Amino acid sequence: MEKVVAVIMVGGPTKGTRFRPLSFNTPKPLFPLAGQPMVHHPISACKRIPNLAQIFLIGFYEEREFTLYVSSISNELKIPVRYLKEDKPHGSAGGLYYFRNIIMEDNPSHIFLLNCDVCCSFPLTDMLEAHKRYSGMGTVLVSAESANQFGELVADPITKELLHYTEKPETFVSDLINCGVYVFTPDIFTAIQEVSTHREDQANLRHLSSFETLQSPTSRALPQDFVRLDQDILSPFAGKKQLYTMSLKCSGLYLAQFRYTSPDLLAGGDGTKSASFVGDVYVHPSAKVHPTAKIGPNVSISANVRIGAGVRLIGCIILDDVEVQENAVVINSIVGWKSSIGKWSRVQASSDADGDYNAKLGITILGEAVIVEDEVVVINSIVLPNKTLNVSVQDEIIL
Amino acid sequence: MKALILVGGFGTRLRPLTLSVPKPLVDFANKPMILHQIEALRAIGVTEVVLAINYQPEVMLNFLQEFEKKLGIKITCSQETEPLGTAGPIALARDKLIDGSGEPFFVLNSDVISEYPLKEMVNFHKCHGGEASIMVTKVDEPSKYGVVVMEETTGKVEKFVEKPQIFVGNKINAGIYLLNPSVLNRIELRPTSIEKEVFPKIAAENKLYAMVLPGFWMDIGQPKDYITGLRMYLESLRKKSSAKLSTGSHFVGNVLVDETAVIGDGCLIGPDVAIGPGCIIESGVRLSRCTIMRGVRIKKHTCVSNSIIGWHSTVGKWARLENMTILGEDVHLGDEVYSNGGVVLPHKEIKSSILKPEIVM
Repeated sequence: MEKVVAVIMVGGPTKGTRFRPLSFNTPKPLFPLAGQPMVHHPISACKRIPNLAQIFLIGFYEEREFTLYVSSISNELKIPVRYLKEDKPHGSAGGLYYFRNIIMEDNPSHIFLLNCDVCCSFPLTDMLEAHKRYSGMGTVLVSAESANQFGELVADPITKELLHYTEKPETFVSDLINCGVYVFTPDIFTAIQEVSTHREDQANLRHLSSFETLQSPTSRALPQDFVRLDQDILSPFAGKKQLYTMSLKCSGLYLAQFRYTSPDLLAGGDGTKSASFVGDVYVHPSAKVHPTAKIGPNVSISANVRIGAGVRLIGCIILDDVEVQENAVVINSIVGWKSSIGKWSRVQASSDADGDYNAKLGITILGEAVIVEDEVVVINSIVLPNKTLNVSVQDEIIL
Repeated sequence: MKALILVGGFGTRLRPLTLSVPKPLVDFANKPMILHQIEALRAIGVTEVVLAINYQPEVMLNFLQEFEKKLGIKITCSQETEPLGTAGPIALARDKLIDGSGEPFFVLNSDVISEYPLKEMVNFHKCHGGEASIMVTKVDEPSKYGVVVMEETTGKVEKFVEKPQIFVGNKINAGIYLLNPSVLNRIELRPTSIEKEVFPKIAAENKLYAMVLPGFWMDIGQPKDYITGLRMYLESLRKKSSAKLSTGSHFVGNVLVDETAVIGDGCLIGPDVAIGPGCIIESGVRLSRCTIMRGVRIKKHTCVSNSIIGWHSTVGKWARLENMTILGEDVHLGDEVYSNGGVVLPHKEIKSSILKPEIVM
């Protein structure tokens, strides 16, 4: 029987600094998204793959950060989930290669590789079937988006072969972007090894001329065993009938790590209950919401939260143990664990950043245990943990 | 004799350095901040130091074990479960501070550096026979602080005035106190302010005396004052035991270099620089008015002034850092980068210049 394994790249503490200040206390993959740790969503998607033997999480966070989660999710889903710690970052493909022996333990015929911070409907079964039809080395999930924040691909419209790949281009290349979800046959390991060896040879060649070593910026930058999936594998293998693409059919799904308001994802939680809820809202059973509050659309309220009378919440994530006091307004923000929002205060960010990924602060984030005093206004700002705001701020990072 | 050091909160003003270690363990002049105070206390015969903390007790406890042995002084923690203000923690540590001997105990604010003339303070306290003594220091802009109004000759404190609008005096509370055990009876175990609630009562009974602190004083709880404080500290070091300061053609003014640090050729270091253990300063580097923490590598031809470089960071070649640039732990600046007041959080790599003061998350 053909077995399949899935690998989810979770990164490490030195990566994901863009997720600060929320990642100070919690590794980004365990950050709650619609009531579950972020990594739970790709893991649940993997569970739906037929003949799935194991799920591996690969990263360079300390093992103890994941021990509890991994054992509880293995029990819950009745499938082995293991966290494999890299001794140092190897890159998205290098990490896969580093653990190839463990990954190939059960002799899987196919290996799924997912990026942990992707928010997606994960049509993995369809992807596997498409991949078997193309019979290439790998299939990449792509989607039509018009952001240049991601890698862009050009695919043959008929054969679906991956013809060209470029990382974060400055000019328009294609409207198809790399979703960060892949399926490979075990040949991928050979391909990764080829890249490593090639790089070593290049480095050896360069040793002959020290002048060249000084000139070329790329040769000295990456160690031999640091292999990135996108730049080092997709790009060179494009157009060689090795890689194919499958399009994500649903529109309106987001990939950026702060686009938490995917309607599908949030509808998975509890939906509308009464007149005080609008649109998709998730409320944890232990949270208390005053009947005169108006919540939504696109709001997630976590455990033990208290929402006071007359509060208005739009497009926000309220984490555990937060208290939002009477008549406060929170829009397009993330409020960190144990924070307190004072009466009549206003915490917001500019209206939905339409493709404005470059706007540094199109969202307001309050770290853990931040106190916003009564009547204070916080706009487009990031506040680090344990701060008290007693004056209004705008467009600032509060250390 | 015993002492209590008020360590308190999160040290947010010293971020990004305090994102890596709790504030009392941030190095100042190549030593954890709190060690300066503990050593001064031990030197006059204090046998037990209690640290009043409310944040990251595990990290503090590890540190303590190491230093208890080295210094031969007992160090314990008193942990607040809720913030108790400036006096509450003293009440919380009551049992540790009273040993029945009736001896007074010290209370120190952990952000402060000074020459710690504690022996003189003990004598002063015995002479006036009052219940409490506080150190005061003269400042240029008293209205930024709480001013202590006192009788010049005896030092008897009349009152405290918080941020006065008119000139009432130029001495402010330096955060160093010597208290009789009876003071503990005046402090309730709840959030209490020592300046607003406790001291005014003692002053009203004519039992509070203030001594003017000789030498320098600085509250180094924020980067700008940290750098000024280093200048004052090194100046004072020169007056006392200049053997610790570096000499030679590569050095200008007061410079403190750990013996395990390596400095290359053609460098010009100083004035007012501290270089920590294991640092590597490559050739042709210019450093002035800065602190280089443990394990930092500064590559060739770089110029750093008025900045703090956090532990294990690297600064590339031909870089220029100035105007309160603060690098957190493990920050790596590329070659030829210019930073004008960049504040960089830990574990970042910076490849492009920071042209105006900015926080890089």
